[in-house]
Amino acid sequence: MSANRLWRLLLLPGGLWLLVLFIAPFGMVIAISLATTDFLGRPVFGFYPENYTQAFDPLFIPVLLRSVGFSVATTLLCLVIGYPVAYMIARYAGRFKNLLVVLIILPWFADYLVRIYAWFVLLGDEGVVNGALRFLGFHGNPPVIFLNTPTAVIGGLVYDYLPFMILPIYAALERMDPSLIEAGKDLYGTPLQTFLNVTWPATIQGVIAGSVLVGLPAVGDFATVQILGGPNTYMIGNLIQDQFTAGGFWPLGAALTIVLMAILSVLIVIYMRSAARPSEAF
Amino acid sequence: MATAVERSATAPLSSAPADATGRRPPRPRAFDQPRFLKFFTAVVFLYLFAPIFVVFLFSFNSKRSTQIFATFSLRWYDVLIHDQSMLGSLWASIEVAFVTMLAGTVIGTLLAFGLVRSNSRVNRPADVLMLLNLVSPEIVTAIALLLVFSEVGSILTPLGFKLGLSLTTVALGHITWSIPYVTIIVRGRLASLNREVEEAAQDLGATNLQAMRLVTLPLLWPAIIASALLVFVMSFDDFVTSYFVSGIDLEPLPIRIYTMIHFGVTPEINAIGTIMMLVTISIVLLALFIYSRQQRARLTFLAE
Repeated sequence: MSANRLWRLLLLPGGLWLLVLFIAPFGMVIAISLATTDFLGRPVFGFYPENYTQAFDPLFIPVLLRSVGFSVATTLLCLVIGYPVAYMIARYAGRFKNLLVVLIILPWFADYLVRIYAWFVLLGDEGVVNGALRFLGFHGNPPVIFLNTPTAVIGGLVYDYLPFMILPIYAALERMDPSLIEAGKDLYGTPLQTFLNVTWPATIQGVIAGSVLVGLPAVGDFATVQILGGPNTYMIGNLIQDQFTAGGFWPLGAALTIVLMAILSVLIVIYMRSAARPSEAF
Repeated sequence: MATAVERSATAPLSSAPADATGRRPPRPRAFDQPRFLKFFTAVVFLYLFAPIFVVFLFSFNSKRSTQIFATFSLRWYDVLIHDQSMLGSLWASIEVAFVTMLAGTVIGTLLAFGLVRSNSRVNRPADVLMLLNLVSPEIVTAIALLLVFSEVGSILTPLGFKLGLSLTTVALGHITWSIPYVTIIVRGRLASLNREVEEAAQDLGATNLQAMRLVTLPLLWPAIIASALLVFVMSFDDFVTSYFVSGIDLEPLPIRIYTMIHFGVTPEINAIGTIMMLVTISIVLLALFIYSRQQRARLTFLAE
């Protein structure tokens, strides 16, 4: 057996695993999105495209639009917050660079749910912030209603995914030759001109990668809304979740999942084509 | 001799401070002054750490309140260690994470070897498959698995087999998303290894297997271990996949916390949350340490 044949064999376990537990299940979602159910709620396969008509029910349209809107807002906020941080670390952190990068990712590894819960503890009606406001003499019960608002949900989403924006931008800034900035200055560019004409174009790949890495999971997020939001902030992930918990209609849930995937495939294609990969940040 | 003289002659010059000429470096303009950036970064770090610090702090509160810190107490940790169902969930999460770590690391590492070392028509599709899996939103892959498990389960049940939703299905789901992470980390290191070193070992009479065991694997271990630890943490933390494919009898810890939050805030959640954070953060630090220490080791290896 030639060495190449041997190495090729090693593709088999992983390849097969992903075919059986990633690609085939996705086929099952498509099949069930076109199925109906029997009286026990079990799927009966067939061709019922009305599931998709139902997915675009006028009741659901605002939810779909909100999901995209929240995701875009989250991505922009992460960019506005994350770019300066990445810039600061890449250019001015000196020997603390690696430490600061580690500190950026570390909170992300504190459990996802615990982090959302932390905001619940902070912002709840009986939370830390309202407690402090009450102590300071603010009236009302609670003084400020934070939860169940778009602000709380978007704030939570930004907290969830901010490191994914910072890391690729940081990696792009690190790859960039700093003397380019000097050159920009030598050519009498103002700092703003230098940034817009030199730094920004040089790091656009990182910005694209970061935006996809933030925007993608944000559209489908449902736990953040479950804990920090409410009916006013429902997102597509919550609609899908409802269909797969007691009393839900699986085919509709599957159709909504396909719709979500279709929205996200645009982002996935951008990401797969983009040269920057998240692994390069490490 | 001449070079020594030259060196001693030029040394004071080259080491002379730049300001010896009397000129001061030009003052940076306002935008370039990192003061604002530094302040901004500090605020962002505060934003990143304050919430989890609050969870940590109130886990030691002697009162039930999450508003006012009374006195330090381990009361909620005491509640925790007597909460059998919580401990069951903790153990379940560790079990799943351990199985995921073993299986995901083995499969992912083999895939990395296959992708780097073989050259065939299936390389590109296998690579795309892996990256697609990486970027697919977890809610989509989780629901896909839920549908497959329940459909396959309903086919198997009349035949006398059982594949209900359980910790097994959770582990199968976790292994699936863990493969690309391992493959990417190990592949990065494998591709940077100098293939000639392995060939040199073979020239010196080592068999393929010996060259692999004595040369390649020792250089690769840190990447493999780091990715294994990463997978352990991500599985231990996982919410979305576990939420859809876990059974009702034994829930992994994040699902258990999720259920508890719906019944209101109790400092017991802070306590278990603090334990989870300490576990995951220390494992991640260990992984980073192993991974970065090797980078240095590799550099000295190349220098020699």
